[in-house]
Amino acid sequence: METGMQELLMGFLKTLPINIIIIILSAALGLLFAVLLTFVRLNRIPVISQLADLYVSFARSVPGLILLFIAYFGIPKVLPLIGLGTYDISPMHAAIISMGFYHSGYISEVFRPAYLAVEKSQHEAADSLGYTPMQKFFRIILPQMVPVALPGYGNALVYLIHDTSLIFAIGIVDIMGTAELSISRSYGINQILIYFIIALMFSAMCFTTDGLVRKLEKRVAIR
Amino acid sequence: MFDLEASYEMFLGILGVLPETLLIAITILVLSTLLGVVLALIQQYKIPVLVQLTKLFKLFLRGTPMVVFLYLMYYALPAIGQFIVTLLGIDYNMNNMSPLVILIVTVSLTLSTFQSEIIRGSFLAVDPGQIEAAQSLGYSFSQTFTRIVAPQAFVHAIPDFANSFTVAIKATSLGFLITVIDIFAQAKIMAAQNFRFVEAFMMVALIYWGIGILITKFADRYENDVRIK
Repeated sequence: METGMQELLMGFLKTLPINIIIIILSAALGLLFAVLLTFVRLNRIPVISQLADLYVSFARSVPGLILLFIAYFGIPKVLPLIGLGTYDISPMHAAIISMGFYHSGYISEVFRPAYLAVEKSQHEAADSLGYTPMQKFFRIILPQMVPVALPGYGNALVYLIHDTSLIFAIGIVDIMGTAELSISRSYGINQILIYFIIALMFSAMCFTTDGLVRKLEKRVAIR
Repeated sequence: MFDLEASYEMFLGILGVLPETLLIAITILVLSTLLGVVLALIQQYKIPVLVQLTKLFKLFLRGTPMVVFLYLMYYALPAIGQFIVTLLGIDYNMNNMSPLVILIVTVSLTLSTFQSEIIRGSFLAVDPGQIEAAQSLGYSFSQTFTRIVAPQAFVHAIPDFANSFTVAIKATSLGFLITVIDIFAQAKIMAAQNFRFVEAFMMVALIYWGIGILITKFADRYENDVRIK
Protein backbone atom coordinates (compact mmCIF):
# COMPACT_ATOMS: atom_id res chain seq x y z
CA MET A 1 0.00 0.00 0.00
CA GLU A 2 2.70 2.47 1.03
CA THR A 3 4.99 1.86 -1.95
CA GLY A 4 1.99 1.73 -4.29
CA MET A 5 0.79 5.11 -3.07
CA GLN A 6 4.27 6.59 -3.38
CA GLU A 7 4.62 5.27 -6.92
CA LEU A 8 1.20 6.65 -7.84
CA LEU A 9 1.99 10.11 -6.47
CA MET A 10 5.29 10.12 -8.39
CA GLY A 11 3.36 9.10 -11.49
CA PHE A 12 0.95 12.01 -11.00
CA LEU A 13 3.82 14.48 -10.64
CA LYS A 14 5.50 13.09 -13.76
CA THR A 15 2.36 13.29 -15.92
CA LEU A 16 0.98 16.59 -14.62
CA PRO A 17 3.21 18.60 -17.04
CA ILE A 18 1.41 16.87 -19.95
CA ASN A 19 -1.91 18.32 -18.79
CA ILE A 20 -0.33 21.73 -18.25
CA ILE A 21 1.36 21.76 -21.69
CA ILE A 22 -1.91 20.84 -23.41
CA ILE A 23 -3.78 23.51 -21.44
CA ILE A 24 -1.26 26.23 -22.35
CA LEU A 25 -0.97 25.30 -26.03
CA SER A 26 -4.69 24.87 -26.62
CA ALA A 27 -5.40 28.13 -24.76
CA ALA A 28 -2.91 29.90 -27.06
CA LEU A 29 -4.37 28.31 -30.20
CA GLY A 30 -7.88 29.08 -28.97
CA LEU A 31 -7.05 32.74 -28.32
CA LEU A 32 -5.46 33.20 -31.73
CA PHE A 33 -8.34 31.57 -33.58
CA ALA A 34 -10.97 33.34 -31.47
CA VAL A 35 -9.54 36.76 -32.37
CA LEU A 36 -9.77 35.86 -36.06
CA LEU A 37 -13.26 34.41 -35.63
CA THR A 38 -14.54 37.46 -33.74
CA PHE A 39 -13.10 39.79 -36.37
CA VAL A 40 -14.84 37.86 -39.15
CA ARG A 41 -18.15 37.72 -37.28
CA LEU A 42 -18.14 41.43 -36.46
CA ASN A 43 -17.27 42.52 -39.97
CA ARG A 44 -20.21 40.51 -41.33
CA ILE A 45 -18.44 39.49 -44.52
CA PRO A 46 -21.22 37.56 -46.28
CA VAL A 47 -21.04 33.74 -46.24
CA ILE A 48 -17.78 33.73 -44.24
CA SER A 49 -19.36 35.35 -41.20
CA GLN A 50 -22.33 32.98 -41.42
CA LEU A 51 -19.94 30.05 -41.55
CA ALA A 52 -18.17 31.47 -38.50
CA ASP A 53 -21.52 31.73 -36.66
CA LEU A 54 -22.28 28.11 -37.56
CA TYR A 55 -18.86 27.07 -36.33
CA VAL A 56 -19.43 28.80 -32.98
CA SER A 57 -22.79 27.09 -32.50
CA PHE A 58 -21.12 23.76 -33.38
CA ALA A 59 -18.28 24.28 -30.90
CA ARG A 60 -20.75 25.17 -28.17
CA SER A 61 -23.20 22.31 -28.64
CA VAL A 62 -21.00 19.26 -29.32
CA PRO A 63 -19.40 17.55 -26.29
CA GLY A 64 -15.63 17.98 -25.97
CA LEU A 65 -15.09 14.24 -25.93
CA ILE A 66 -16.61 13.87 -29.40
CA LEU A 67 -14.57 16.74 -30.84
CA LEU A 68 -11.50 15.03 -29.39
CA PHE A 69 -12.41 11.78 -31.16
CA ILE A 70 -13.25 13.59 -34.42
CA ALA A 71 -9.83 15.25 -34.40
CA TYR A 72 -7.99 12.04 -33.54
CA PHE A 73 -9.77 9.72 -35.98
CA GLY A 74 -10.93 12.30 -38.52
CA ILE A 75 -7.86 14.40 -39.36
CA PRO A 76 -5.80 11.49 -40.79
CA LYS A 77 -8.81 10.51 -42.93
CA VAL A 78 -9.81 13.98 -44.11
CA LEU A 79 -6.36 15.36 -45.03
CA PRO A 80 -5.78 12.95 -47.98
CA LEU A 81 -9.31 13.73 -49.22
CA ILE A 82 -8.53 17.43 -49.60
CA GLY A 83 -5.14 16.64 -51.11
CA LEU A 84 -2.91 17.50 -48.18
CA GLY A 85 -1.17 14.13 -48.05
CA THR A 86 -1.14 11.55 -45.31
CA TYR A 87 -0.50 12.44 -41.72
CA ASP A 88 -0.62 10.21 -38.69
CA ILE A 89 -1.75 12.54 -35.97
CA SER A 90 -0.35 12.00 -32.49
CA PRO A 91 -2.84 12.00 -29.62
CA MET A 92 -1.13 15.12 -28.21
CA HIS A 93 -1.69 17.08 -31.44
CA ALA A 94 -5.28 15.86 -31.71
CA ALA A 95 -5.91 17.01 -28.14
CA ILE A 96 -4.38 20.47 -28.65
CA ILE A 97 -6.17 21.03 -31.97
CA SER A 98 -9.61 19.92 -30.80
CA MET A 99 -9.43 21.66 -27.41
CA GLY A 100 -7.99 24.84 -28.94
CA PHE A 101 -10.60 25.04 -31.66
CA TYR A 102 -13.63 24.52 -29.52
CA HIS A 103 -12.26 26.80 -26.79
CA SER A 104 -12.04 29.46 -29.53
CA GLY A 105 -15.77 29.09 -30.16
CA TYR A 106 -16.50 29.80 -26.51
CA ILE A 107 -14.22 32.79 -26.16
CA SER A 108 -15.34 34.31 -29.43
CA GLU A 109 -18.75 34.51 -27.74
CA VAL A 110 -17.03 36.40 -24.90
CA PHE A 111 -15.11 38.81 -27.15
CA ARG A 112 -18.01 39.73 -29.42
CA PRO A 113 -20.28 41.26 -26.74
CA ALA A 114 -17.22 42.90 -25.16
CA TYR A 115 -16.50 44.64 -28.46
CA LEU A 116 -20.13 45.62 -28.90
CA ALA A 117 -20.17 47.02 -25.34
CA VAL A 118 -17.83 49.84 -26.38
CA GLU A 119 -20.03 52.84 -27.03
CA LYS A 120 -20.57 53.90 -30.62
CA SER A 121 -19.73 57.49 -29.80
CA GLN A 122 -16.23 56.40 -28.88
CA HIS A 123 -15.72 55.04 -32.39
CA GLU A 124 -16.98 58.32 -33.79
CA ALA A 125 -14.79 60.37 -31.46
CA ALA A 126 -11.72 58.40 -32.52
CA ASP A 127 -12.65 58.84 -36.18
CA SER A 128 -13.10 62.58 -35.75
CA LEU A 129 -9.65 62.80 -34.15
CA GLY A 130 -8.24 61.24 -37.31
CA TYR A 131 -7.14 57.91 -35.77
CA THR A 132 -6.37 55.14 -38.23
CA PRO A 133 -8.41 51.92 -37.71
CA MET A 134 -5.34 50.29 -36.10
CA GLN A 135 -4.81 53.20 -33.71
CA LYS A 136 -8.50 53.27 -32.91
CA PHE A 137 -8.53 49.57 -32.07
CA PHE A 138 -5.38 49.46 -29.96
CA ARG A 139 -5.75 52.80 -28.17
CA ILE A 140 -9.52 53.13 -27.70
CA ILE A 141 -11.37 49.86 -28.17
CA LEU A 142 -9.03 47.17 -26.87
CA PRO A 143 -8.35 48.85 -23.49
CA GLN A 144 -12.10 49.05 -22.90
CA MET A 145 -12.82 45.55 -24.22
CA VAL A 146 -10.31 43.79 -21.97
CA PRO A 147 -11.93 44.58 -18.57
CA VAL A 148 -15.36 43.56 -19.91
CA ALA A 149 -14.12 40.30 -21.47
CA LEU A 150 -11.80 39.13 -18.68
CA PRO A 151 -14.33 37.48 -16.30
CA GLY A 152 -15.88 35.48 -19.16
CA TYR A 153 -12.45 34.60 -20.47
CA GLY A 154 -11.41 33.34 -17.04
CA ASN A 155 -14.50 31.13 -16.95
CA ALA A 156 -13.69 29.72 -20.38
CA LEU A 157 -10.14 28.94 -19.23
CA VAL A 158 -11.51 27.03 -16.23
CA TYR A 159 -13.73 24.99 -18.57
CA LEU A 160 -10.72 24.30 -20.80
CA ILE A 161 -8.79 22.98 -17.80
CA HIS A 162 -11.77 20.77 -16.94
CA ASP A 163 -11.88 19.40 -20.46
CA THR A 164 -8.24 18.34 -20.49
CA SER A 165 -9.38 15.67 -18.03
CA LEU A 166 -10.82 13.88 -21.08
CA ILE A 167 -7.58 13.45 -23.04
CA PHE A 168 -6.84 10.07 -21.45
CA ALA A 169 -9.72 8.75 -23.61
CA ILE A 170 -7.47 8.84 -26.72
CA GLY A 171 -4.60 7.15 -24.93
CA ILE A 172 -2.58 10.05 -23.55
CA VAL A 173 -1.03 9.12 -20.22
CA ASP A 174 -1.82 12.25 -18.22
CA ILE A 175 -2.88 12.27 -14.56
CA MET A 176 -6.17 10.52 -15.37
CA GLY A 177 -4.29 8.00 -17.50
CA THR A 178 -1.91 7.34 -14.62
CA ALA A 179 -4.88 6.74 -12.34
CA GLU A 180 -6.44 4.31 -14.82
CA LEU A 181 -3.16 2.42 -15.17
CA SER A 182 -2.64 2.14 -11.44
CA ILE A 183 -6.21 0.95 -10.91
CA SER A 184 -5.86 -1.73 -13.59
CA ARG A 185 -2.56 -2.83 -12.02
CA SER A 186 -4.49 -2.80 -8.72
CA TYR A 187 -1.90 -1.79 -6.19
CA GLY A 188 -4.68 -2.12 -3.70
CA ILE A 189 -5.02 1.64 -3.34
CA ASN A 190 -8.49 2.93 -2.70
CA GLN A 191 -9.96 4.23 -6.01
CA ILE A 192 -11.98 6.86 -4.17
CA LEU A 193 -8.73 8.27 -2.77
CA ILE A 194 -7.08 8.27 -6.22
CA TYR A 195 -9.86 10.26 -7.87
CA PHE A 196 -10.05 12.55 -4.86
CA ILE A 197 -6.35 13.39 -5.31
CA ILE A 198 -6.96 14.10 -9.02
CA ALA A 199 -9.94 16.28 -8.11
CA LEU A 200 -7.68 18.28 -5.78
CA MET A 201 -5.01 18.62 -8.50
CA PHE A 202 -7.52 19.97 -11.01
CA SER A 203 -9.00 22.25 -8.36
CA ALA A 204 -5.53 23.64 -7.66
CA MET A 205 -5.01 24.36 -11.38
CA CYS A 206 -8.44 26.00 -11.70
CA PHE A 207 -8.07 28.16 -8.61
CA THR A 208 -4.58 29.30 -9.63
CA THR A 209 -5.91 30.32 -13.05
CA ASP A 210 -8.94 31.97 -11.46
CA GLY A 211 -6.72 33.88 -9.04
CA LEU A 212 -4.42 35.09 -11.82
CA VAL A 213 -7.36 36.28 -13.92
CA ARG A 214 -8.83 38.12 -10.91
CA LYS A 215 -5.49 39.83 -10.29
CA LEU A 216 -5.40 40.89 -13.92
CA GLU A 217 -9.01 42.11 -13.65
CA LYS A 218 -8.04 44.40 -10.79
CA ARG A 219 -5.08 45.77 -12.72
CA VAL A 220 -7.01 46.60 -15.88
CA ALA A 221 -10.23 47.77 -14.21
CA ILE A 222 -11.55 51.05 -15.62
CA ARG A 223 -11.30 53.62 -12.85
CA MET B 1 -13.06 7.17 -47.69
CA PHE B 2 -16.13 8.78 -46.16
CA ASP B 3 -19.04 6.40 -46.75
CA LEU B 4 -22.40 8.14 -47.09
CA GLU B 5 -24.50 5.00 -46.91
CA ALA B 6 -22.80 3.84 -43.73
CA SER B 7 -23.24 7.35 -42.30
CA TYR B 8 -26.97 7.25 -43.00
CA GLU B 9 -27.30 3.89 -41.24
CA MET B 10 -25.31 5.22 -38.30
CA PHE B 11 -27.51 8.31 -38.17
CA LEU B 12 -30.68 6.20 -37.93
CA GLY B 13 -29.08 3.87 -35.37
CA ILE B 14 -27.99 6.76 -33.18
CA LEU B 15 -31.39 8.46 -33.45
CA GLY B 16 -32.93 5.30 -31.94
CA VAL B 17 -31.22 6.04 -28.62
CA LEU B 18 -32.03 9.76 -28.71
CA PRO B 19 -35.28 9.54 -26.68
CA GLU B 20 -33.43 7.82 -23.83
CA THR B 21 -30.67 10.42 -23.89
CA LEU B 22 -33.23 13.23 -23.81
CA LEU B 23 -35.05 11.52 -20.94
CA ILE B 24 -31.80 11.27 -18.96
CA ALA B 25 -31.09 14.96 -19.66
CA ILE B 26 -34.60 16.02 -18.61
CA THR B 27 -34.32 14.01 -15.37
CA ILE B 28 -30.99 15.69 -14.68
CA LEU B 29 -32.44 19.13 -15.43
CA VAL B 30 -35.40 18.61 -13.09
CA LEU B 31 -33.29 17.17 -10.24
CA SER B 32 -30.59 19.82 -10.54
CA THR B 33 -33.18 22.61 -10.61
CA LEU B 34 -34.82 21.30 -7.43
CA LEU B 35 -31.46 21.00 -5.70
CA GLY B 36 -30.47 24.40 -7.13
CA VAL B 37 -33.53 25.99 -5.51
CA VAL B 38 -32.55 24.46 -2.15
CA LEU B 39 -28.96 25.72 -2.50
CA ALA B 40 -30.17 29.17 -3.54
CA LEU B 41 -32.55 29.35 -0.57
CA ILE B 42 -29.80 28.29 1.83
CA GLN B 43 -27.56 31.05 0.50
CA GLN B 44 -30.34 33.62 0.36
CA TYR B 45 -31.43 33.09 3.97
CA LYS B 46 -27.85 32.41 5.17
CA ILE B 47 -28.81 29.32 7.19
CA PRO B 48 -25.83 28.75 9.51
CA VAL B 49 -23.61 25.67 8.96
CA LEU B 50 -25.55 24.76 5.79
CA VAL B 51 -24.41 27.94 4.04
CA GLN B 52 -20.75 27.11 4.74
CA LEU B 53 -21.28 23.55 3.52
CA THR B 54 -22.96 24.88 0.37
CA LYS B 55 -20.02 27.16 -0.32
CA LEU B 56 -17.54 24.30 0.15
CA PHE B 57 -19.64 22.07 -2.12
CA LYS B 58 -19.72 24.73 -4.84
CA LEU B 59 -16.00 25.39 -4.53
CA PHE B 60 -15.18 21.70 -4.88
CA LEU B 61 -17.41 21.20 -7.91
CA ARG B 62 -16.19 24.35 -9.65
CA GLY B 63 -12.62 23.08 -9.59
CA THR B 64 -13.33 19.42 -10.36
CA PRO B 65 -13.89 18.24 -13.94
CA MET B 66 -17.11 16.28 -14.36
CA VAL B 67 -15.30 13.15 -15.54
CA VAL B 68 -13.16 13.07 -12.37
CA PHE B 69 -16.24 13.58 -10.23
CA LEU B 70 -18.02 10.86 -12.20
CA TYR B 71 -15.27 8.33 -11.49
CA LEU B 72 -15.15 9.45 -7.86
CA MET B 73 -18.89 8.89 -7.54
CA TYR B 74 -18.67 5.59 -9.44
CA TYR B 75 -16.65 4.21 -6.57
CA ALA B 76 -17.96 6.37 -3.72
CA LEU B 77 -21.74 6.45 -4.31
CA PRO B 78 -22.39 2.71 -3.76
CA ALA B 79 -20.28 2.94 -0.59
CA ILE B 80 -22.23 5.99 0.63
CA GLY B 81 -25.52 4.29 -0.28
CA GLN B 82 -24.50 1.14 1.58
CA PHE B 83 -23.60 3.21 4.63
CA ILE B 84 -27.01 4.91 4.66
CA VAL B 85 -28.90 1.67 4.02
CA THR B 86 -27.05 -0.07 6.86
CA LEU B 87 -27.69 2.91 9.12
CA LEU B 88 -31.41 2.61 8.41
CA GLY B 89 -31.25 -1.08 9.12
CA ILE B 90 -32.40 -2.16 5.64
CA ASP B 91 -30.84 -5.32 4.24
CA TYR B 92 -29.98 -4.32 0.66
CA ASN B 93 -26.81 -4.62 -1.40
CA MET B 94 -25.97 -1.21 -2.89
CA ASN B 95 -22.91 -2.47 -4.77
CA ASN B 96 -24.94 -3.37 -7.84
CA MET B 97 -26.17 0.21 -8.18
CA SER B 98 -27.01 1.01 -11.81
CA PRO B 99 -24.41 3.17 -13.62
CA LEU B 100 -27.35 5.21 -14.92
CA VAL B 101 -28.21 6.26 -11.35
CA ILE B 102 -24.57 7.21 -10.76
CA LEU B 103 -24.50 9.29 -13.96
CA ILE B 104 -27.76 11.08 -13.13
CA VAL B 105 -26.71 11.82 -9.53
CA THR B 106 -23.25 13.05 -10.56
CA VAL B 107 -24.40 15.38 -13.33
CA SER B 108 -27.35 16.63 -11.26
CA LEU B 109 -25.05 17.52 -8.37
CA THR B 110 -22.63 19.35 -10.67
CA LEU B 111 -25.37 21.16 -12.57
CA SER B 112 -27.18 22.14 -9.35
CA THR B 113 -24.35 24.54 -8.46
CA PHE B 114 -24.87 26.35 -11.79
CA GLN B 115 -28.66 26.21 -11.41
CA SER B 116 -28.53 27.80 -7.95
CA GLU B 117 -26.54 30.72 -9.38
CA ILE B 118 -29.04 31.11 -12.23
CA ILE B 119 -31.97 31.03 -9.81
CA ARG B 120 -30.33 33.52 -7.44
CA GLY B 121 -29.49 35.85 -10.31
CA SER B 122 -32.98 35.76 -11.79
CA PHE B 123 -34.63 36.52 -8.44
CA LEU B 124 -32.28 39.44 -7.93
CA ALA B 125 -33.25 40.75 -11.38
CA VAL B 126 -36.84 41.37 -10.27
CA ASP B 127 -37.19 45.06 -9.40
CA PRO B 128 -37.52 45.42 -5.57
CA GLY B 129 -40.05 48.21 -6.23
CA GLN B 130 -42.47 45.58 -7.53
CA ILE B 131 -42.21 43.63 -4.29
CA GLU B 132 -42.86 46.81 -2.29
CA ALA B 133 -45.84 47.62 -4.53
CA ALA B 134 -47.25 44.13 -3.96
CA GLN B 135 -46.78 44.49 -0.21
CA SER B 136 -48.50 47.87 -0.21
CA LEU B 137 -51.46 46.21 -1.98
CA GLY B 138 -51.65 43.80 0.96
CA TYR B 139 -50.29 40.69 -0.87
CA SER B 140 -49.09 37.97 1.46
CA PHE B 141 -45.51 36.63 1.15
CA SER B 142 -46.61 33.57 -0.84
CA GLN B 143 -48.90 35.65 -3.06
CA THR B 144 -46.07 38.08 -3.81
CA PHE B 145 -43.82 35.16 -4.61
CA THR B 146 -46.14 33.15 -6.84
CA ARG B 147 -47.88 36.08 -8.60
CA ILE B 148 -45.16 38.72 -8.89
CA VAL B 149 -41.65 37.40 -8.36
CA ALA B 150 -41.66 33.85 -9.73
CA PRO B 151 -43.25 34.60 -13.15
CA GLN B 152 -40.75 37.38 -13.86
CA ALA B 153 -37.76 35.47 -12.51
CA PHE B 154 -38.73 32.47 -14.64
CA VAL B 155 -38.76 34.50 -17.87
CA HIS B 156 -35.39 35.94 -16.97
CA ALA B 157 -33.95 32.46 -16.40
CA ILE B 158 -35.19 30.85 -19.64
CA PRO B 159 -32.01 31.39 -21.73
CA ASP B 160 -29.83 30.11 -18.89
CA PHE B 161 -32.07 27.08 -18.37
CA ALA B 162 -31.76 26.31 -22.09
CA ASN B 163 -28.01 26.49 -21.64
CA SER B 164 -28.19 24.11 -18.68
CA PHE B 165 -30.24 21.67 -20.74
CA THR B 166 -27.51 21.69 -23.41
CA VAL B 167 -24.91 21.10 -20.69
CA ALA B 168 -26.95 18.16 -19.36
CA ILE B 169 -27.23 16.58 -22.82
CA LYS B 170 -23.52 17.06 -23.43
CA ALA B 171 -22.69 15.63 -20.02
CA THR B 172 -24.51 12.37 -20.76
CA SER B 173 -21.77 11.72 -23.34
CA LEU B 174 -19.51 10.91 -20.37
CA GLY B 175 -21.87 8.07 -19.51
CA PHE B 176 -20.09 5.69 -21.88
CA LEU B 177 -17.09 5.73 -19.52
CA ILE B 178 -19.25 3.95 -16.94
CA THR B 179 -21.23 1.85 -19.49
CA VAL B 180 -24.38 4.00 -19.80
CA ILE B 181 -25.62 3.85 -23.39
CA ASP B 182 -26.59 7.27 -24.71
CA ILE B 183 -26.27 8.58 -28.29
CA PHE B 184 -22.49 8.87 -28.01
CA ALA B 185 -22.03 5.37 -26.60
CA GLN B 186 -24.31 4.06 -29.35
CA ALA B 187 -22.12 5.81 -31.96
CA LYS B 188 -19.03 4.18 -30.46
CA ILE B 189 -20.65 0.75 -30.48
CA MET B 190 -21.75 1.12 -34.12
CA ALA B 191 -18.32 2.45 -35.11
CA ALA B 192 -16.56 -0.50 -33.52
CA GLN B 193 -18.66 -2.93 -35.59
CA ASN B 194 -17.35 -1.73 -38.96
CA PHE B 195 -14.44 0.56 -38.01
CA ARG B 196 -16.17 3.65 -39.41
CA PHE B 197 -15.20 5.93 -36.53
CA VAL B 198 -15.19 9.20 -38.45
CA GLU B 199 -18.67 8.63 -39.87
CA ALA B 200 -20.05 7.65 -36.48
CA PHE B 201 -18.54 10.61 -34.63
CA MET B 202 -19.56 13.05 -37.37
CA MET B 203 -23.14 11.80 -37.27
CA VAL B 204 -23.38 11.99 -33.48
CA ALA B 205 -21.80 15.48 -33.57
CA LEU B 206 -24.43 16.53 -36.13
CA ILE B 207 -27.18 15.26 -33.85
CA TYR B 208 -25.75 17.15 -30.85
CA TRP B 209 -25.43 20.26 -33.00
CA GLY B 210 -29.03 19.92 -34.19
CA ILE B 211 -30.28 19.51 -30.63
CA GLY B 212 -28.25 22.55 -29.53
CA ILE B 213 -29.74 24.73 -32.27
CA LEU B 214 -33.28 23.44 -31.63
CA ILE B 215 -33.04 24.13 -27.89
CA THR B 216 -31.77 27.68 -28.44
CA LYS B 217 -34.45 28.42 -31.07
CA PHE B 218 -37.22 26.93 -28.94
CA ALA B 219 -36.10 28.79 -25.82
CA ASP B 220 -35.87 32.09 -27.73
CA ARG B 221 -39.35 31.69 -29.13
CA TYR B 222 -40.79 30.64 -25.76
CA GLU B 223 -39.11 33.58 -24.06
CA ASN B 224 -40.59 35.94 -26.64
CA ASP B 225 -44.03 34.47 -26.10
CA VAL B 226 -44.07 34.75 -22.33
CA ARG B 227 -42.16 38.02 -21.97
CA ILE B 228 -44.35 40.93 -20.88
CA LYS B 229 -44.61 43.22 -23.85
